[in-house]
Parts: sequence; C-alpha cells; structure tokens
Amino acid sequence: MSKPVTWLDRRALWGLGVALAVVLAFSGWLFGSVSGDLAGQQRQREAVLVANAVGASLAGATEEIAGERIKRWQAALPRLDSALVIAGRQLVASTRPEDGAPRSLKREEKPLFDLATMLRSAGETNVSEGAVRKKTVQIDDKGDGVVTVSVPYVVDGKFEGIVQLRVHDQGAVKVSPGGGWALGLALLAGALVIGFFLRVNPELRFDIARGVAVVALLALAVGFQQQRLGQMAKATAASDLAVSRFQAAAASAYSRTGAAPLVSSAASPWDTDAYGRPLKLIAADGSLLPRTSEAQKDSHTSFLDRSFWGINLVGLALLLFFLQGYATRTATALRDHADAYAYVAPAMIGMLVLVFFPFFYGIGLAFTDTTLFNESAPFRERWIGFGNFLQILGDFNIVTQGAEGTTVNYQNFYWTLMMTVIWTVTNVSVGVTFGFILALALNTEGLKGKWLYRILLILPWAIPNYITALVWRGMFHPQFGVINQFLQMFGMQPVKWFDGVVSAFVTGLVTNGWLSFPFMMVVILGALQSIPSDMYEAAEVEGATRWQQLRSITLPLLRPTLVPAIILSVVWTFNMFNIIFLVSGGEPGGANEILITKAYKIAFEQYQYAYAAAYSTVIFTILLVYGYFQTRMTRATESY
Amino acid sequence: MREKANHLWIHAGLISFTLLTIYPVLWVLALAFSGQQSVGIIDLPKDPTFLERARGVLPWPAHFSVKNFVDVMTEQPFGTWLLNSVLVSVMTTALGVFLACTAAYAFSRFRFPGRDGGMLAFLVSQMFPGTLMLIPLFIIIVKWLGLGNTFWGLVIVYATTAIPFCVWMLKGYFDTIPIDIEESARIDGASPQTIFFRIILPLAKPAIAITALFSFMTAWNEFILASVFLEAEAKYTAPVGLRFFVGGFSSQWGFFAAGSVIVSLPVVILFLYLQKYLVSGLTAGSVK
Repeated sequence: MSKPVTWLDRRALWGLGVALAVVLAFSGWLFGSVSGDLAGQQRQREAVLVANAVGASLAGATEEIAGERIKRWQAALPRLDSALVIAGRQLVASTRPEDGAPRSLKREEKPLFDLATMLRSAGETNVSEGAVRKKTVQIDDKGDGVVTVSVPYVVDGKFEGIVQLRVHDQGAVKVSPGGGWALGLALLAGALVIGFFLRVNPELRFDIARGVAVVALLALAVGFQQQRLGQMAKATAASDLAVSRFQAAAASAYSRTGAAPLVSSAASPWDTDAYGRPLKLIAADGSLLPRTSEAQKDSHTSFLDRSFWGINLVGLALLLFFLQGYATRTATALRDHADAYAYVAPAMIGMLVLVFFPFFYGIGLAFTDTTLFNESAPFRERWIGFGNFLQILGDFNIVTQGAEGTTVNYQNFYWTLMMTVIWTVTNVSVGVTFGFILALALNTEGLKGKWLYRILLILPWAIPNYITALVWRGMFHPQFGVINQFLQMFGMQPVKWFDGVVSAFVTGLVTNGWLSFPFMMVVILGALQSIPSDMYEAAEVEGATRWQQLRSITLPLLRPTLVPAIILSVVWTFNMFNIIFLVSGGEPGGANEILITKAYKIAFEQYQYAYAAAYSTVIFTILLVYGYFQTRMTRATESY
Repeated sequence: MREKANHLWIHAGLISFTLLTIYPVLWVLALAFSGQQSVGIIDLPKDPTFLERARGVLPWPAHFSVKNFVDVMTEQPFGTWLLNSVLVSVMTTALGVFLACTAAYAFSRFRFPGRDGGMLAFLVSQMFPGTLMLIPLFIIIVKWLGLGNTFWGLVIVYATTAIPFCVWMLKGYFDTIPIDIEESARIDGASPQTIFFRIILPLAKPAIAITALFSFMTAWNEFILASVFLEAEAKYTAPVGLRFFVGGFSSQWGFFAAGSVIVSLPVVILFLYLQKYLVSGLTAGSVK
C-alpha cells in the first residue's frame, strides 16, 4: 500500500523557493560584479586613450614644448589630474608646479625610473622582434576613481621614457538593475505559489509534479536572467558610446596643443589595449564602429550568459535535492545526531577551510595565469585552461647543441624529474643498505653495549632536519669546511662542492643518507628481533651457510616490514624539501633542484603562482600514480 | 673463541660508523662552545701541516667558552624567536589537541551519517603534497585573511595539518575505553559534556600526551610555512631565525651552532625517551 499523498507537499514548496532564491541571488551578484568590471574597463579605456593621445602629441617635442603641451592638455581636459614626462633619469615635464620640472629624479622616485626602464625595454623588444609580446601600457587602477596610466614616451621613433597620467573617472555608466529587488521578489513569490499547489508523490521516481517544478524553475530563472542580459548589452553599448565621446573630446584637445595634425585613420589609434594595439571599437573622429570580429564580441555579456547557465544547473541540482527527499533526510540526520555533529564540526570546518579548500583551490589555480601582479583580477580573466601544463610537459628542450658545445637546460621539467628520480632511488638505496647492515650488526647475539650504539646511531633521526641540513652545509663549506680540511690532510685538492652538478648532488645525498638510515635501521632491527632464533638453529643443523640463511630466512621474513618502510621512505625522499633547499639550494644553476624545491622557487622567487600550482599538481599526479601502482604491486606479491 | 673474534670485528665496524655518525653533532657542539663565529673549528695558519689540519678537523674548540650562548640570547634577537616558537607551538598544541579530542570522541562513540566518509576524508588529506598546499595557503592566510606576520596564521595551519593523525590516533585509544563506564555515568545523571570532560579525557591521558607531543613537534620543527608567512624579523620562529644566521650572505656560525643546540636539546631528549614506543608503533602492524 502506497502512502497517501498529502495535500500540501512541502518538498515542492521548499525546493522551488530555495532553488530560485539561490539562482536569483547568484545571478544578481554576478551581474553586479560584471557591471563593476565594465565600469572599471571603461575607466581604464578612457585613461589609456588620453594617455596615448598625450603621448602622440609629445612625439618629437623638446623639453620646453613638452612642458607647455601637457599644460594645455590639462587645461583642455578637466579630467586629467596631472601628467608628467620622464626620460632616462630626467623628469622632463610635469603639470604640478611643486615638482619643479625639469630636474633629475630623486632617490625616492626610483620606482618611476624602474617603470620607465621596464616600459622602454618592453617597447624596444616589441620593435626589434617585430611582434607584440610585451605590455607597453602600464595601468594602475586602485578602484578609487583615479587611474594612473604610463605609456612610452617616443621621440623620433626612439623610446626615451614614459608619460604618466592620472585621470579621474566621470560618470562611468551606472548599470541600473532595472526592476531590481522588486522583480526578484515577485519571481520568488511566484515560485512559492507554484510550489504550494504542486503535490509530489514520494513513492514515484518521477511524476508530473516534478516535471512542472523543473520547468517552472527554469522559466522563472531564465526570464530574470534574460532581463539582466539585456541590461548588460545596453550598458556595454552605453560604455562604448561614452568612450567614443571622450575620444572626440581628446581629439579636439589634441588639435589645440599645437602638435602635428593627426594622421587620419579609420579606427582610433588611442583606444588601445595594454600592448598598444587599437581595439577598433571607435573611429578616430569619435563615431562608433560595429563589433564585427570574434575577438571584439562583447565579452561581458557573453560571459554572463554562459555563467547563468552554470547557475541554473546548480539551481536544478538543488531543486532535485529537495524533490527527491534528500533535504528532509539531511535535516532529520542533523537533528537526530546533533551531539555527534557538534563534536565533529570544529575539526571538520578547520579541515574544510585549511586543507580541502586550499587543495582544490590550488588545482584551480593551476589552470590560470596568476602571478604576483595580476592577483586582483577576476578569476575568469586569469583562466587559461591547460596552458601551464602544456608549457611544463610539452617542453622537450633539454639538451641544446650550441657553439660552445652541449648545454643542458636545467630549468626543464624532465631534467628536474630525472634528478628527482635519481635522488629518490639513490637515497632510499643508501638508507636501506646502511640500515640493513647496522641492524644485522646490532642484532648479533651477546654483543655488548648494544643500547649505547643504538642511542648514538639514532641521534640523526632525533635532530630537526633543517638543522641537520644547515650543519652539513657548514661542513661542506668550500673554503673552511671540515670535509675539505680532511681531504687536504691527505694531500687532496679541496672540492668546490656547490659548483659541480655531481659534487653538489653528493652533498645532498650524504646529508640525507645521514639523516635517513636510522629510521631504516630501527625498523629492520625490530623485524629481525621478531624472527624466532630456532629457525636459524634448524638451518644450521641442516648445514646452511650464513649467506643461505640470510637469503632464505632473513630476507623473506623482513619483506612485510621492509616494503611499507621503503614505500614511506620513497615518498618522504621524493618530497624532501629541506635538504635540497638548505644544503645545495639546487646549485649549480638549478641543476640539483628536485621537483618540489623547483615548485617553491617558481612560486616564491619568480612569483608565478599559477605555474607553480600547475607544477605541484603534476607532482601530486606523479605521486598518485606511484601510490596506485605500488599498492597493486604490493597486493600482487603479498600472496606468497 | 671464533665468536669473540667476530664480535671484535663487529665492534670495530660499529665504533667507526658511530664515530662518523656523531661527528656532525660533535662539530656543532664544538662550534657552539668555541666562542667565535667562523665555520672552521680553529683558525688554521697559512700553510698548515698534516697535524695542524688534523687539529682543525678534530671537533674540539681552541678555547671553551659559553660566549656564543650568552650572546645569541642577549645580543641577538634569538631569545624573541625562541619565545615565538614556544608561543606558536603551545597554541598549536592546545588548539590541535582540543579539535582532535572532540572529533575523535565523536568518531569513536557516535554512529551518524557521514562518519565513515569523514574519517576517510581525514585519511585522504594526508596524501595532499605540501607544496600544492603551500601556494593556496599563502594566498588564503596572507593575502585574504591578512594573517601573514602573525602567529595565528601559523597556529591554525599547523593545528589543522596535525588533526588527521591526532584524530586517528585518539580514536583508536577511545575505542579501547569500555563504554560501560559512560553508560553507568549516564544512568547516574551525568550530561554528555560532563562525561566527555570529566571521565573520558582523564582516562585518555596517555594518548592525549602523545597527540600533544606530536602537535608540539609539528610546530616546533616546521620551517617552510613559517619562512613563507613571516616577513618581519621580530616575528620569526626559531627555525626561520637559525636559517637567518647562516643563510644568504651572513655567516654567523657560532650563533647558529649555539641556537641549534638550544632548539634541538629538548626535542632530542624527548625523542630518545620516547623512541621505544615509536619503534613498537612502527613495527606493530607489519611484523608477524
């Protein structure tokens, strides 16, 4: 007998209400954020436009004329807060009287000099390569309404320095949400009413009511979103129009500065991107050009469109969660086991925020081009897909045959991977060999002073490993280190440990060997002691030699202990950051870097966060694959 | 007779290997007590003879002095760094143990939906590699939360990294405490909180001690995160500070050696004291 269907099914009511509320809230938030971006984009476009115009008007102008012209610019365009021109170490001109231009730059103005040098070399690189590879326009927008833009200061085709402008915004197009809250609330009320009249039969997998609920959710959500998309398209057009008006204003100001008349061109040469390439959205006379090519597609509206469908999917999932009764079950579970959840919650929340979220965020980061300099840009603008992985895994430029012979590219991923594998294999072998020999020696029956040997030999394990690493670094000191002293004692030449690929590798190997053999020794000793001695006695009676005993009794019985210990040790060594980082530091020239120190340096010395995240993701994948095959192999061989 | 001769060889081998093993330790001690900053144990003359070189290798300072210890604590900011390390480690221990105890208790005593999933999640998190976590953690803690250069940033990260191990360890111990004790307390009218704080926690003291020690060591010996999070010299923890003495272009080996001895001593003593349990723990599951 199926349960009677209740008159009012709260699942449909709650499901539709919550799902639509979430969809509306997300869509509205995204719309707000994208329209904020649009306003910022317009602000920056205008600032770049006027900067390019000022730069163009200064081409070939002498110092006095340059000073005169930027003053005229400021008079003609009230939105121009200030402008200055820098060439080399000279502050050539400035609109601020307190600057006292022309004069040379002061010590505290070093950042300006650096910026000028950077843009100049970027511009020269682009010209010499005949390609546009480096950004020549520097935009600094703190979001407080004032944009600082620097463009190259070019005199007679030569990059002399920069022109830096501060432009404040004026009437950036405010995108009115159109209907705003009222529309959202009306839709939500509609959803609740529909939900009120739907009766979902919990016994059925699918019934009409569920279908109606899904259609209702989609219809309401899409209606709201289409209205927002319309707003966005309008706002984009308005933004273009505003920029085109500004272009007209700038063109008239330009003609009043006394610079050479403009070369007529279809598209405005001033409305450019950060590489100085015209966007071709407005004409030089200030009229609008149609958006034709694919690249010019209104990116804000299309992004919004795509994201809205993603949000709708989330809404649908939520609706089904309620309709299928999972929500009720979750609520019941939470109520019934409130005590248990209260106890688990603090640790779980901590883990979610500081372990699981960072993990997935790190993987997400790997698909962007985030560096120190574009961190604040929205996530979608940094998204580049598999680019980082292609760059890491697709670079086979390991060995080059040059004029000076063969050179190895130590920065290459595969070189570092090879070094890491060699590093891991040699270290684990050293650890196991020494650990095994020492354990055998210590397991000798009736040996005196065992405990003392044990305590002393275990010491390297007890000392924090960063201290161990620094101590060995000191002992390997090329000039005063004891190891070279020792070599010289016997008339040998001192070795410059950190200058050669092999010798620097040896420093790491020795250090890590020293610190890892005690672990193996202790583990093996524990296992040896658990082998009953009558087995050996029996073997001796049978006339087996020491070697035969070792091979047919000791080693097979050690297996179950040794295998997990080696697996652990492989992972530890593979990730042994401290030793490489602190002893040789990957010298010479990064040749001795292992994967994880390399990832660290990419992140914190080159500030390429995303590239480093991709590197780390590759490392994680390697370990995962290793772990998978290791477990399979261990399982396969466990049977005998 | 043959046995004796054999033992002699084994002793000879073991003694020489042990000497090699403890040489770096003696080297640090010699530098620490030498009262000078150079990386050599003694200053060698221009063209040293064999014997003079041998003297330079011998880990015995030219003059015994505690100057390095006194200076590193008074003239150098090492005292502050040590205090920072103690603060961070103690806070990590307190937070980590609290979080681990409550979670482990729930996992051990309650049956609730998501229990197995949660425990598995804790286990899986142990496989996440450090560097993959380093960059996101840096962005979250320093850039978003603004907790760079504070101890809280380090403490919450250390405590959460230690949680999975501690939870599994404590859960195992809680499982061994008979449930009858709790049931009789409940019949006597004790609230769940009372049972947890007044009965279970006191009974689990040994396990909690190990957990606390583990959390403490995690924080005390950690170097990478601390060096990424802390920029201001006054906020350094001892590991970052020790690197500061000999990293880059500075080479104050005397301070480094004295500092290393101070930092390692408690850890080494604890380790040697606890090594028996460590070994039995490591081999318990695999042998037999």
